[in-house]
Amino acid sequence: MSSITLSVQGLRKVIGKRTIIKDLSFELKRGEVFGFLGPNGAGKTTTIRMLVGLIKPTSGTIHICGLDIAKEFTKAMSHLGCIVENPELYPFLSGMENLRHFAVMLKGTTQARIDEVVRLVGMQERVNDKVSTYSLGMRQRLGIAQALLGKPDVLILDEPTNGLDPSGIREMRAFIRFLAEEEGLTVLVSSHLLHEIQLMCDRVAIITKGEIIRVDSVTNLLSSEERLQWRLRPFALGKSVLGSLTELLNEQEETVTTIYSEQLSGDWNRKLVEAGVSVLEMNRKLPALEDLFLELTGGESID
Amino acid sequence: MHSKKVRIITVFAAFTCLLWIFGLGWTVKDYLIGAAHSAYSPPAADESAAQTNELKIIALGDSLTRGTGDIEGKGYVGYVTDQLKKEGLDVSLINLGIKGLTSERLAEQIKEKEIKRQIGQGDIILMTIGGNDLFLGGQTLTNITDDSISKLEEAYLSHLKAILADIRAVNTEATIYLLGLYDPFNEFPEGALTSKTVRGWNSKTMELLAEDSKAVFVPTYDLFQLNVNDYLFTDHFHPNEVGYRLMADRVAALITSGGGPR
Amino acid sequence: MINLVQNEMTKLLGKRRFIIISVIILVLLSMFTYAQARQAETIKERLGTVDWRTELQQKIVDWQNRLSSAGQWREQLQIQIEQSQYYLDHDINPSEPGAPTFIRGFVENSAELFLPLLIMIIAVDLVSSERSMGTIKLLLTRPVSRFHILLSKYIALILSVSLVIFIFGLLSYIISAFMFGNQGWAAPVLTGFKVEGGELNISEVRLVSQWQYIIQQFGLAWFISLVVGTLSFMLSILMRSSAAGMGTMLACLIAGAILSNMVSSWTSAKYLFMVNLGLMNYVSGTAPPIEGMTLGFSLAVLAAWMLGSLVVSFAVFMRKDIY
Repeated sequence: MSSITLSVQGLRKVIGKRTIIKDLSFELKRGEVFGFLGPNGAGKTTTIRMLVGLIKPTSGTIHICGLDIAKEFTKAMSHLGCIVENPELYPFLSGMENLRHFAVMLKGTTQARIDEVVRLVGMQERVNDKVSTYSLGMRQRLGIAQALLGKPDVLILDEPTNGLDPSGIREMRAFIRFLAEEEGLTVLVSSHLLHEIQLMCDRVAIITKGEIIRVDSVTNLLSSEERLQWRLRPFALGKSVLGSLTELLNEQEETVTTIYSEQLSGDWNRKLVEAGVSVLEMNRKLPALEDLFLELTGGESID
Repeated sequence: MHSKKVRIITVFAAFTCLLWIFGLGWTVKDYLIGAAHSAYSPPAADESAAQTNELKIIALGDSLTRGTGDIEGKGYVGYVTDQLKKEGLDVSLINLGIKGLTSERLAEQIKEKEIKRQIGQGDIILMTIGGNDLFLGGQTLTNITDDSISKLEEAYLSHLKAILADIRAVNTEATIYLLGLYDPFNEFPEGALTSKTVRGWNSKTMELLAEDSKAVFVPTYDLFQLNVNDYLFTDHFHPNEVGYRLMADRVAALITSGGGPR
Repeated sequence: MINLVQNEMTKLLGKRRFIIISVIILVLLSMFTYAQARQAETIKERLGTVDWRTELQQKIVDWQNRLSSAGQWREQLQIQIEQSQYYLDHDINPSEPGAPTFIRGFVENSAELFLPLLIMIIAVDLVSSERSMGTIKLLLTRPVSRFHILLSKYIALILSVSLVIFIFGLLSYIISAFMFGNQGWAAPVLTGFKVEGGELNISEVRLVSQWQYIIQQFGLAWFISLVVGTLSFMLSILMRSSAAGMGTMLACLIAGAILSNMVSSWTSAKYLFMVNLGLMNYVSGTAPPIEGMTLGFSLAVLAAWMLGSLVVSFAVFMRKDIY
C-alpha cells in the first residue's frame, strides 16, 4: 500500500445554484496530522461529511487507502474512523453498550479490541455507566474510542477540542500526536482556531468559501506573523516614542500594536520607560486567523 | 456481543411475529379464499330456568309499555313494578316494548324464539297494543269513516287473536293484562267521533279477551276521560307521568288483589 | 444482519420503549375492565338475571326503540339488531363471559387507533431520533451500507410491532382472566356476516371457536399496526423531528376515523389508507364505510400503501445527504 492514505481529487458540491465546495484536491500521507483550517461556514464540515460518506459530492473522487468511497463504500469505510462535530453517542446506553453497538458494525471486532480502546482512552472506570452521566470530555474520549475500534488507517476529527477545558485540550493534542507518531495513523483535524492547528498539525490547508487557498506546513505558514500589543500611559506620549522606534500597525483606545521582534522589543520597552511612559502591558499575540486570511486573500473579507 | 436479554427478546419477538403472520394468513384463508362451512348444531337450550319465587313480569307492546312521555322513562310498567316491590314482592321485569309497534309487528315479534322463551317463564304479562293500529300517527283522525275503521279493527283483532294464541302456546298459566286505549283527542273538535271509535275498539278487544279466563282487560278510557290534557305529555298523544301513574295504580291493584302471585 | 437488528433492539430497550407502552396498556386496561365489570353489574341489577338471552333480547329491544331517532346510524343499528337476533335465534352467546370475550372486544376496539398509536411511539422516531441525537453520523460512517442499516431498522420495527401486540394480548389476558375468569376459549363465535347494500347477508355465516377468532383478530391487528408503523417509519425518514411525524400520523389516523363515518358518498376515498384500517369490521360484520369495500380490497389497499412507503423510505434514505 502506498503511503497516500486519503486522496481527494476535484471535489465539488453544488446545492441548488450555489457551489458550496469548489474543486478541492489534496492528499494525506501515513503518519501525518493534517489540519483543516477555516472560519465557520468556510465549508470544512461539508468537506468532512463528504469524506466520510454522509454527503454525496456533485463531482470529484475520494479515495481512502486506494478505495473509492462512491464505488466501494463499505470497504473504504472500514479503513476510516471519524467523529463529525460532537461525539454524539446514545445517552441511554452505557459506554460499553455504545462501543458494542458500533463494534457489531465492524467485521472482526472482538471484545478484546473494545477493552483495548477503552484502556487507550482511559475510560476503564466509567465505561459501564450511562453516557448521559458523562462529562463532555469523557464523551469526547469515548467518541475517539469508537473511532479507533476498527483499527482505522485514517482518522477524521471535526473540531476535536471543541468544548473541552484547557487540560482536556492538552490531553487531546497529545493523544492525537501519539496516534500519528506511534500508531502511524493519518489524522485529519478541522478547526477554526489557528493556534490549535499550529500545536498539533504537520501540514495545514486553509479553506475559505469552499476553496483551499493554501496548503503548507505549519512552520512556513506562521513565520514572521507575530505581533506585540502595548498598553501605555500616558498614551499620546507613548505612541509618539514608540512610533519613532518602529511602525505602528494598529491603534486602538489605550493600546497600540507593533511587530514582535526578539532582538528589538526589549529595547523599545526600555526607551519608553526612560521617556517616562508607564508600560502597563506588553502582550505577544499569535496572528489572528482573520489577519492571516486578510493577508492570504488580499483583503477579501471573511464571513 | 449483545447482552443475553436483547437476544432473548429479539428471538421471542421473531416468534410472536410468526404467530401473528399465521393469524393473518388464517384470516385471509378463511375470509377471502373461503372456509368450509362448518354446519353447527346449537347446543340444546337449557329450558330449565332456575325456578325462583320471583314474580316475573314480561311487558309487551308499544310506546306506552316503553314509557314514552314519562319524564322518568319508567312508564306504567315501571310504576307497577315499583308498587309491587313496595308491597314486598320480589319482582323482576323484562320490558320488550318497542315504540311504534303495531299489532301486526307484535304478532311477528312474539314468534321469535327468545321472546317465546321469555314469555314462557313469565308469571304476568302486561301488554299495550292497538294504539298505533288505530291512530297511525294521527292520520286516522282526519278522515274517519266507518268503513276504514272497521277494516283496521278487523286486522287488529285477528292479530291480537294470534298474539294471544301464541302466548298461550308457551305459557298457559300467566295472567295477561291488556290495557285498553284511551282517547287523547277527546277535547278536539272531532272528539266525539274519535271517542266513539275508541270505545268501540275497546269493547271489541274486551270481547276477544273474554275467551281467555286468565286474560284481563284493563280499561284506561275512563282514566283519561276527564281533563285529558292534565294527563298527557306535550306530544298530546302519550300519557305523562301522572297519566302513567293512574294506569299503574289500576294494574297494580289488580295484580295484588286478584291475579297476583300464586 | 441479525446483529444489526439486535443493535436496534438494544436501543429500543435502552429507551425503555416497551416499558412505557406496557404501562400505557395497563392503565387503559384497568379502566376498561373496571367499566366492563360495572356494566355487567348494572345489567344484572336492571334485569334481575344473568341470563345472556334476556340481556341480549333487552339490548335488541333497546336498539329497536332507538331506530326511529337514529338518523344516519339507522342502517348500522339495523344491521346490529339483525346480527344479534341471529345470535339469539341460534342460541349462541355473543359475549360469553370470561377473559377471551373481553380480549375479543378489547382488540376489536383498539386495533384502529390505540394499537397504531402505541406503534407510532416506536416507529416515528426510529430514524429521526438518530438524526436529532446526531448518532446517524456515526451510524452511516460505518462499513455497512445504508440499505442494510435501514433494513435492520425496519426488521426491528416489525419485531417491535409483534412484541407490542403480544404484550397487549398478554396483559389483557392476565387482567381480564383475573377479573372475569378464564373460561370461554372454546365458546362459539358466529362470523362471516356480510353487509351488502345496507342489508345483512347471512348466507356465509359460520361458526368458529373463540380462540381461533381471537388469533385471527390479532393477525389483523398486527397487520393494521404494521401498516401504520411503516407509514410512520417513512415520516421518520422524511421529517427531521419526531414530533412532526407523530403529529402528521395522528392527524391521518383521526381523519380516518372521522372520514369512515362520513365518506359513504365520496367513493374514491376508499383508496385512502386511513379509511381502510377497520379490517375488524369485515370479520365482525358491520357495514364498511364505503359501499363495496371488502376485506380483500382493504388488505390490498393497505399493502399497496405499505409497499409504497417502503420504496419511498429506502429511496430517500439511501440518497439523502446528512447535514
